[in-house]
Amino acid sequence: MKIKTGIVLSGFVNVALIVVIAAFAYHDLNRILTKLAFVEIADDLNTLFLEMRLSEKNYFLSNDPGELADIKERLASAKQVVGSMRGDIVRATGAANYAELVEDIGEYGKTFPEAGQDRPPDADAEARIRSAGKKLREFSETLIRLERKEVHRIIDNSTNGMLLSFWAILLSTVALSPVSSRRILNALKKIETLTKSISQGRFDKIEEHPGNNEIASVIRAVNSMSQELRNREEELLQTKKLASLGILTAGVAHEITNPLNNISMIAQTFEQSYGDLDETMRLEFMKKVENEAERIKNVVINLLDFSKPKQSQRLTADVRELVEHTMALVRNMLDVSAIDTALDLPQGLPPVLVDEHQIHQVLVNLITNAIQAMAPGGRLSVAVRAVSGGAAVEIEVRDTGKGIAPEHLSHVFDPFFSTKGVGGTGLGLSISYGIVKNHHGSIRVESEAGKGTAFTVTLPAITSQNFAEE
Amino acid sequence: MSGKVVMVIDDEKIVCDMAKIALRKEGYEVETFVDLVLAVERLKGRSFDLVITDLKMKGIDGMEVLRTIKEKYPATKVIMITAFAHLSAAIEAFRGEVSDFFPKPIKLKELVAAVKRAVGDEA
Repeated sequence: MKIKTGIVLSGFVNVALIVVIAAFAYHDLNRILTKLAFVEIADDLNTLFLEMRLSEKNYFLSNDPGELADIKERLASAKQVVGSMRGDIVRATGAANYAELVEDIGEYGKTFPEAGQDRPPDADAEARIRSAGKKLREFSETLIRLERKEVHRIIDNSTNGMLLSFWAILLSTVALSPVSSRRILNALKKIETLTKSISQGRFDKIEEHPGNNEIASVIRAVNSMSQELRNREEELLQTKKLASLGILTAGVAHEITNPLNNISMIAQTFEQSYGDLDETMRLEFMKKVENEAERIKNVVINLLDFSKPKQSQRLTADVRELVEHTMALVRNMLDVSAIDTALDLPQGLPPVLVDEHQIHQVLVNLITNAIQAMAPGGRLSVAVRAVSGGAAVEIEVRDTGKGIAPEHLSHVFDPFFSTKGVGGTGLGLSISYGIVKNHHGSIRVESEAGKGTAFTVTLPAITSQNFAEE
Repeated sequence: MSGKVVMVIDDEKIVCDMAKIALRKEGYEVETFVDLVLAVERLKGRSFDLVITDLKMKGIDGMEVLRTIKEKYPATKVIMITAFAHLSAAIEAFRGEVSDFFPKPIKLKELVAAVKRAVGDEA
């Protein structure tokens, strides 16, 4: 279900609930008003009966025929009221009681004409009249009491209904909407994690969300962005590698030219001084040619190996060997630039899980940067050591070059930031940063203008604990 | 036979060996060094007519050897060889001071001819 549909639906449910509650409240209020009107009328009836009884009492005391006329008039009104309230009275007290009321009124009315014939009513008639009057009063009081009770019942019901509806709405907003909002929040959390990892240079993917809602399309979009970035990063890595290759070429030319020259000189000597050479020397010459050819082959293999696009593959490696391998690649460049080297590569460091080619690329990049920062006679120091009690391994590349200005130091890992003018792409360190981050490691820089710079790459070591996790 | 003394300095031993064979054939006395420091030391003990030196080697720069020779042994001629073709421009600057310059790979016949020219053995 789409989130939009869910939100519209839950909104619709809430609106429907409110409409139902309003309808019930309106209905109850109407009933209460009707009931109250009925109670008022019943109250009037009660007043009529009360006045009738007062007149009745006066009649018995003074035997005034005027009182009798009042009673008859009120009795007529009472009859009219009772007639108009028939439905309500029947509903409130039952048909039998209504019939009894009508009969009582009739009885009460009938009693008087007999009593009104210019002589005081006898004690028997008086008792009957009093009893009928009392009955009428009691009836009207009962009616009022019952109706009041009914009104209270309706109000109670209505209050309960309101309360119930309140809980229902509360439930639907507090308990039901979090079901959909939790889905949104969970998805946002996932996307947040993903974007965080992307910003740190790891282009992970997250699990696709099932269904065809907005969350699923956002996750699909973010995943495809991540994939795209990963593709771009691989292209970038390759581009940068080819750029490093350009820098390496100066060293490589020297490395190839020397054995090539050796072979050429042996061949020339072989040809020009063949007669002066004995058998042993000739054989020795050919052996040397073979050795020199081997030297060239190694240089070419090294170079091809470095420049070839690689499938990323993480294997257990020893940082010491990684550094030695890298040094072989840059050795000639160092010689050409007349840079001294100091290596501190102790044995027995904890192993690391790395893509060797990528780490070579990082080290070649750091070392070429160091060489470019130094004048002839500078010194490059490369040291490896275990840190954090063996949980990580550090590779430090230190030069005695011109250093990095403090205001540039925080930007050195930014893409396209370069202090080399037109010569630098500004990508080397940012790519190195990405590679190291991808290895769950870190890279930091210290520099003092005029004194030199040190880059330190920290890689997590394979301990028995995290090896089990991998 | 001229009997002139030539020193060859190159950290590639094959260069030293081949140059020695070619130059001896032409009657030169040849001493070779793969180590620049030892070579400079040797210069103090004997006078050489010509020094053939590689420009870039581990240790000291061939350019320093040139400077030392020009300063202390101005009579000694110098021929430069190098694996770096791109250093030709730099060498050009020393055109007046070096007798000749050869980027590798070296043609032995040309080298021998250059040596002869430098020490005045040219016919």
